[in-house]
Parts: sequence; C-alpha cells; structure tokens
Amino acid sequence: MNFPLSMTYWSHFVSVAMFALGLLGFLLRKNTIVVLMCIELMLNAVNLLLIETSMRTNTPEGIILVVFVVTVAAAEVAVGLGIVLNLYRMKGTVNLDHFKSLQG
Amino acid sequence: MRETLFMVFSLFTIAAASGVVLSRNPVYSAFSLILSFFGLSGLYLLWGSTFMAMIQILIYTGAIVVLFVFVVMLLNLQTVRENSPNLLFLVGAAAAVWLFSLMILRVLTRAIPNKAVEIPTDQLRAISKLLFTRYLWPFEVLSLFLLVMIVAIFAITRTQEIPQGGEKK
Repeated sequence: MNFPLSMTYWSHFVSVAMFALGLLGFLLRKNTIVVLMCIELMLNAVNLLLIETSMRTNTPEGIILVVFVVTVAAAEVAVGLGIVLNLYRMKGTVNLDHFKSLQG
Repeated sequence: MRETLFMVFSLFTIAAASGVVLSRNPVYSAFSLILSFFGLSGLYLLWGSTFMAMIQILIYTGAIVVLFVFVVMLLNLQTVRENSPNLLFLVGAAAAVWLFSLMILRVLTRAIPNKAVEIPTDQLRAISKLLFTRYLWPFEVLSLFLLVMIVAIFAITRTQEIPQGGEKK
C-alpha cells in the first residue's frame, strides 16, 4: 500500500469506523436519544458504502437504495422520538435501565 | 489533491462521529452528529454525487438532527448517569471492537484497485428515470409507508389517553 491510499480505501475505512462507533454507542450508552443517534450513525456508514460503490461502478441503483434508506431512517427517527417522548411522560426519565416493564 | 481532501474529510467525519458516542451531554452529541453529517456530505461531493450531498444536508441536518435537538430541548434532560463498567458493558465493548477488527481486516486485505478512479458526473437523470420506471412500485410503497408512519406518530404521541404517572412505583 503506497501512502496516499485511494478514495475507495478511505471510504471503506470511514464506513467501517462509523459503523463500529455507532454499534459501540448503541450497546454502551444509556441515554435513549443518544442510542437513536448511534443508529443514525450506522445507517450513514451503510449509505457511504452504497454511494461509493454506486459512483465507482457507475450504477445509479445504489443511489436509489440510499434514497430509500434515508426515507426509512427519517420515519424511524420520528417514531423513535415519539416513543421516547411517551416514555419520558410516563417514567420521567430516558435512562434505558429504567425501562424494564417487558422484562420477565 | 482530491485524495488529500478526501482524507481530511474522512478524519473529520470519524472525529465527529466519536464525539457523538463519547460526549456526556446529548446536545453536544446532536451537534457532533451535525458535524459528522457535514463531513459525510463532503465525502459524497468528492465522489461526485452532488445530489446525495445536498440530500444529506437537507434531510439529515435540516430535519432529523433538528428533531433530535427539539426533543432534547423539550425534555429538559439532566445528564443521564452512565453505568460504571460492569460485565455487560465490557461484553458490549468487546463485541463492537471485535466486529470493527473483522471488518477492517476484510477491507485491508481485499484487492481494491489502489488507483485513482474515474469520477463520473452525477447521474441525476438516470436516477430519476429509474425511480419512476423500474423502481416505481417500491417508490409508491415507500410513500404509503410514510403515510402510515405519520398516522402512527399521531396515534403514539396523543396526550389524552396516557395516564399521568404511568405504572405504580
């Protein structure tokens, strides 16, 4: 590997690093809102990989897939934050450790 | 030149993304998320996808992060107390690190052509043509999905029927 690595390498590196960071936050953070943000990070890592492949191989299908992912991500965030609002109204906190109603 | 800029934007994006995970205050997390999305938008721009760069800023920064900031402000949160490292915490961290090392090994050992690729100009015409011909049905299903989501959010966040105080302590 000569040093100025190509844009493909950097894209893959950024994508993997962002996905791992998102997974780390998703597993470790206790604030529900930050957990939702980490899900966004993971979705964006996948988007970067899709766009890189799509532009490198000149196939527009990848961009269409990204548009779908963005739409679903927006809907997911809206529903997730609505649920968080309700949970805060009922429990007075957004700490994930306090949400144990479904635990057996 | 393009590679150098790409490297700068990549490091910027990763730094901002780690800011999302590491900062204690959720408002700082949201602003780090904005910075990370701007970095990603720069990466898309360098790949020649001006359409997705614009969509990234318009939808993610303009709609999604604003929603996050709005909810954080609305809830008037104190900082949530994070756990001290226990066994479950360590297992989660180990899983993330393991997955990261697996993926990065795969990336580094793959035979990716390490040369400057021809950056195509944005294929906006091709995208829209495909979206309204071959992918018309997924597109329509997606709009129906959005409608269902709007109704669901209204149903979820209605205030009348939610008992104050919730479950008994």
